[in-house]
Amino acid sequence: MNSRDRVLAALKGEAVDRPPVISVCQHATYEQMDELGAAWPEAHARGDKMAALAMGGFTMLGLDAVRVPFCQTHEAEALGAKIKDAGRTGVPSVEVHPYKIGDQPQFPDDFLERGRIPQLLQAVRILKENIGDQVIIIGGIVGPYTVATNLVGIDDMLRTSFKKPEKVVPFLELAEKAGTVLANALVEAGADVICVEDMMTSLDLVSPKIYRSLAAPYEKKQFSGINAPTIIHICGKLDAIMTDIAETGPSAISIEPVVDVKLALEEFSKKGIKMPLIGGVDPVRTLFSGTPEEVRREVEKALEDGFSMISPGCSVAPASPLENLLAIVDTVKEKK
Amino acid sequence: MEALAISNYDNIFKRYDLVSEGSGQGIMATAKDADLQKIMECVIEGETDDILGLVDEALTKLDPMVIINDALIKGMNEVSRLWDEGTYYLPQVILASDAMLAGIELCEKKMGKSMEKKGIVVTHTAEGDIHDLGQKIVNALLRANGYEVIDLGKDVPVDTVVNAVKQYKPVMVTGTALMTTTMTAFEKISNRLSAAGLEIPFVCGGGAVSEEYVTGYKLGVFGKDASQAPGMAADAVNGGTWQELREKYNG
Ligand code: B12
Repeated sequence: MNSRDRVLAALKGEAVDRPPVISVCQHATYEQMDELGAAWPEAHARGDKMAALAMGGFTMLGLDAVRVPFCQTHEAEALGAKIKDAGRTGVPSVEVHPYKIGDQPQFPDDFLERGRIPQLLQAVRILKENIGDQVIIIGGIVGPYTVATNLVGIDDMLRTSFKKPEKVVPFLELAEKAGTVLANALVEAGADVICVEDMMTSLDLVSPKIYRSLAAPYEKKQFSGINAPTIIHICGKLDAIMTDIAETGPSAISIEPVVDVKLALEEFSKKGIKMPLIGGVDPVRTLFSGTPEEVRREVEKALEDGFSMISPGCSVAPASPLENLLAIVDTVKEKK
Repeated sequence: MEALAISNYDNIFKRYDLVSEGSGQGIMATAKDADLQKIMECVIEGETDDILGLVDEALTKLDPMVIINDALIKGMNEVSRLWDEGTYYLPQVILASDAMLAGIELCEKKMGKSMEKKGIVVTHTAEGDIHDLGQKIVNALLRANGYEVIDLGKDVPVDTVVNAVKQYKPVMVTGTALMTTTMTAFEKISNRLSAAGLEIPFVCGGGAVSEEYVTGYKLGVFGKDASQAPGMAADAVNGGTWQELREKYNG
C-alpha cells in the first residue's frame, strides 16, 4: 500500500497494511526550516515557502500526509481580524477582533481573494503537483465555534454562549460558511482530506452543554458541506462529549492522549458508531521534552489502545527534536 | 431562611442544567440574611444585570463591607469550589467574577474609597503567549479573596513585568505560560528581579510549565492550580519568602 491508499482506507475504516502515521495539526520545526530553506514567518504568508516547508513532513519525517497551513488565522484575517506576526519563532495570532456581540457580520463575496488565502491555495497546488501522487495532502481549516471566537474575542464569546446563546448564532453561521467555502477551495486546489481544528470547543473552555448546543450543530453542517473526507481535531479531555463529536459526522476524530480512548471506543460500539480515532503521542511531554525511547513506548501503547492512525495529539512545538518525530514513524513501521 | 435558600438552589440547578453537567455536590453556601443570600446567588449564577439593583437596595440597610465579605466574596468562593470540583466551567467563572466586581464597585462608591485590600499581586501572561485563561482565573480568585490585582494582561514583555514590580511593590508576582517557546521569559524575569533586589515570590503556572522548570530558577514557585493563588498570596503577606513558599507548595 502506498501512503495515499493507506490513509484513505484507514479513514473509511478499511483494512490497512500498517496504521498510517500523520500529523493532524501543525508540525513544522526549526530543524525542518533550516534543512528545507523555508522558514517562518515567510512560510505563513508565501505559497511557495509554505509548500516547501510542508514537504518536509514527507521528505524528512516520512509521514503518510503533508499539511498546510501552520497557523490558524487565515479565516479570521479574511473576515477582518488584525493579525499579529510572531517572527521566526512563533505563529501568527489574532490581535484585534473585528466584531462585537450585537453586530451583524457579513460574508464578503471576495472571501477567497482576501488576506493570505490565495497563497494558502497556491501552496496546496504546488504540493499536489510535486508529491500529490505519493502522499495525502491535508488542508487545514478552523472550526465554526473557534472562528466565531476569533471574531468577537474569547471572553465575550464564552459569556454570551452561556447567557444569551442566540446572540452568537450570526457569528457561528458566518464562521461555518467561511470554513466550508475555504475547505472546498482547498479540495479544488488539490487537498485530499480536510482537517477542521475547533480548539475553542475544548472542555477546558466550554461546558458539554455549550458544545452540544452551539458547536456541534455547526460542525455537523460543515462536515456535510465539505466535498472530501474530514478529520475533526479538538484539544483536551473530551470524555464527556466523544459520542457527541462522532455524531457530527466527520470521517475521523483527532484527540490528545488525555482522552480515555478505550472508554470512547466502548461507547462508540454500544451506539453502533464506527469512527477511527487519530492521535496517541503527547506533543509537549513526549515530543518536545521526552526521548525517542519515550516516544516509542507511547506509540506502542497508542496502537494497543486502538488508535486507527498515529499522530501527535495536537500542534507540535517548533523546537521539538527531529529524532523524536522520526521515532513515531520508525516505531509503527517496526511493529508491522 | 434556610428553607428559602434551598428552594432557590433547585432553581439554579434547573436553570443551568448543572445536575446533568457536573459530577459534584452542587451549591452549598448560604448567607446570613435574605438580602445577602440573593446577592450571593447572583454572583454564583453570574447575573451581571440583576446584581446592581440588589446591591443598591442592600446598601440602604447594610454596611458595604458586610455586603462585600458576606455576599459578593462569599459567592465567588463558592464558585471557586464549584470550579475545583468540576461542576462549573470557564464561562461561569468569568461571569461570576464580572458580577462580583460590579457589586464591589458599587459598594466602594458608597464607602467613598476602595475596600481595604490584603495586599497587591501583579499578574501576567508571558511575552508571545496569548493563552490567558489561567491568568484570568487567578485574577478572579485573588480578587475574590480581597487582594488588589494589577493585571498586566497577555503577551507582556519582560521589562513591563519588572517595571510593574518596581512601581506597585506587590507581595507576589505571577506568570502564566502555555507554550514551550514562551515560558523561557520567566527565567529572564527572575534574573532581572533578583538583580534589582526585588526578591518576592514569582509564582508560575500554565499548561507548559512544570515544577521542575519553575524551581530551576531563583524566586520561582510552581503553581499547579489557580485555586492555590490566594493561599500563596496570604503566605506572602504574612512574610513568607519565596523559599518558604516553594518548600510549602512544591517538592
Ligand atoms: C484555548 C487554547 C488556545 C486559545 C487561547 C485563548 C486564550 N485567550 O487563552 C487560542 C485558540 C487563541 C490558542 C492559540 C494557540 N495555541 Co493554544 N491551546 C489552547 C488549549 C486548547 C487550552 C488552553 C487553556 O486555556 N486551558 C485552560 C486554562 C484554564 O488552563 P491553564 O492556563 O493551564 O491554567 C491552569 C493551570 O495551569 C493553573 N495556572 C495557570 N497559570 C497560573 C498562575 C498561578 C499563579 C497559579 C497558582 C496557577 C496557574 O491554573 C489553571 C487551572 O486552574 C491548549 C490545549 C490544552 N488542552 O491545554 C492549547 C495549547 C496551549 N495551544 C498550543 C498552541 C501551539 C497554540 C498555537 C501556537 C496554535 C497555532 N498553531 O496557531 C496558538 C498560539 C497563539 C499564541 N501566540 O499564544 C499548544 C502549546 C504547545 C506548547 N506547549 O508549546 C497547546 C498545549 C496545544 C498543544 N499543541 O498541545 N490556543
